[in-house]
Amino acid sequence: MEVLNPRASFLSNYEVLSLLRELDNDYLSRAKTAVRIKKEEDGAGVTGKGGSDPAAVDISENLRTVEVEAIQYLSADYQPIAQQSEAGIKQLTRDLAPYSLTKAEKLQIVNLAPTEPVELYVVVEELEDRLGEQMDDILSAVRRSLNAPYASPGLSYSERSHPPAAGEAEVYREEEQGWGEEVYDANEVIFDDTGEGAGVEGDLDMDDE
Amino acid sequence: MFVLSIIKDTIAILPANFGVLPEQALISEINKKYANRVLHDVGMCICVFDLTEASEGKVRYGDGCLWYKVIFRMVVFRPFASEVILAKVKSSDEDGIRLSVGFFDDMYIPLSYLPQPSALDSNERAHFWLPDSEATTPHELLESITTDRMYIDQGEIVRVRVEADEFYDDEPGPPKASEGVAVKREVRRAPYSVICSIAEQGLGPIPWWKAAQVDEELMEEG
Repeated sequence: MEVLNPRASFLSNYEVLSLLRELDNDYLSRAKTAVRIKKEEDGAGVTGKGGSDPAAVDISENLRTVEVEAIQYLSADYQPIAQQSEAGIKQLTRDLAPYSLTKAEKLQIVNLAPTEPVELYVVVEELEDRLGEQMDDILSAVRRSLNAPYASPGLSYSERSHPPAAGEAEVYREEEQGWGEEVYDANEVIFDDTGEGAGVEGDLDMDDE
Repeated sequence: MFVLSIIKDTIAILPANFGVLPEQALISEINKKYANRVLHDVGMCICVFDLTEASEGKVRYGDGCLWYKVIFRMVVFRPFASEVILAKVKSSDEDGIRLSVGFFDDMYIPLSYLPQPSALDSNERAHFWLPDSEATTPHELLESITTDRMYIDQGEIVRVRVEADEFYDDEPGPPKASEGVAVKREVRRAPYSVICSIAEQGLGPIPWWKAAQVDEELMEEG
């Protein structure tokens, strides 16, 4: 084992939650399929064929644990994630671009979505000297980004594993929804360290001393 | 609070999993090995983000596994110093407050990072902050009127700033012959712990700053 880069880039909480939800739905749909196959086999009287489905990988216990606990934490009602959306966050990062904020500050604004001045105080150092009047603009930009209703990423994924008996039209509609929400552009909101804000991390580390 | 780490490793796929797409089998094996574990000086691993590069699988003498050299990206929990995050109070004791974010709970606020003056109320098992008080010793603080105290109760959501993090690798080495087989029990330290602070305006339990926010700020500055 070799660590090539311990901190290649930052991830926002929203990205992590969408990734974990995708994994979770994947797991649930697979579990459902397994149950269905077992039922079918029992019904057909096929026994003793033995062995597990060759196309299925077992999900390890440690992954399930951390997955479920992290989803619980990230989607708790004190987190702003419930009101966030992919489009909202994209718009927010665009709105924040003109202000002289560091990468780390922008990431925290996305993660915590501060809507009160005191919350922004904690995130941005020397807020008054650096931004002065612009503070209200940032707060209203955050508020605007939160208004979008929450469409949980990849939620309809598991619904697609309906029995084939379901009406043809219905299946189509669900599939459409599923794909629409499943499209997940990882590069959109990643806080890549190699960009113009490079060196921010170094500044942060200096604070330690 | 989450970062992507790029890691290189050699992963074996058991013959039982040859029927699965190699990519899926690898991701599943990597998750089995890394998820929910602490990597020294990297952080706590959550799950695989994606595979960057993988070699052809090779069979080695001795087992039937296919061995792949893989470079992959891992989602890792590693809040940076000075980052502000939300956490839940897990417990309080004489040394400070222990916090939890659900999947990780080795987060501590030592006494020196509590807002001053503050003290531990042993009846309530909770620390409290006494704003605008002249009292300094715990004795004086405990004589204050209960309604003036601002408690940090168990289960409350607090906004904290990450001050530092520490990694310990306490794995014992092989036993030495001279020491015999005597088993020594040492205090186990958490492999990764995060030190947080709430000694700042805007930090601490969220209701402190939601209600009567303006008054609080004036009082603080005055």
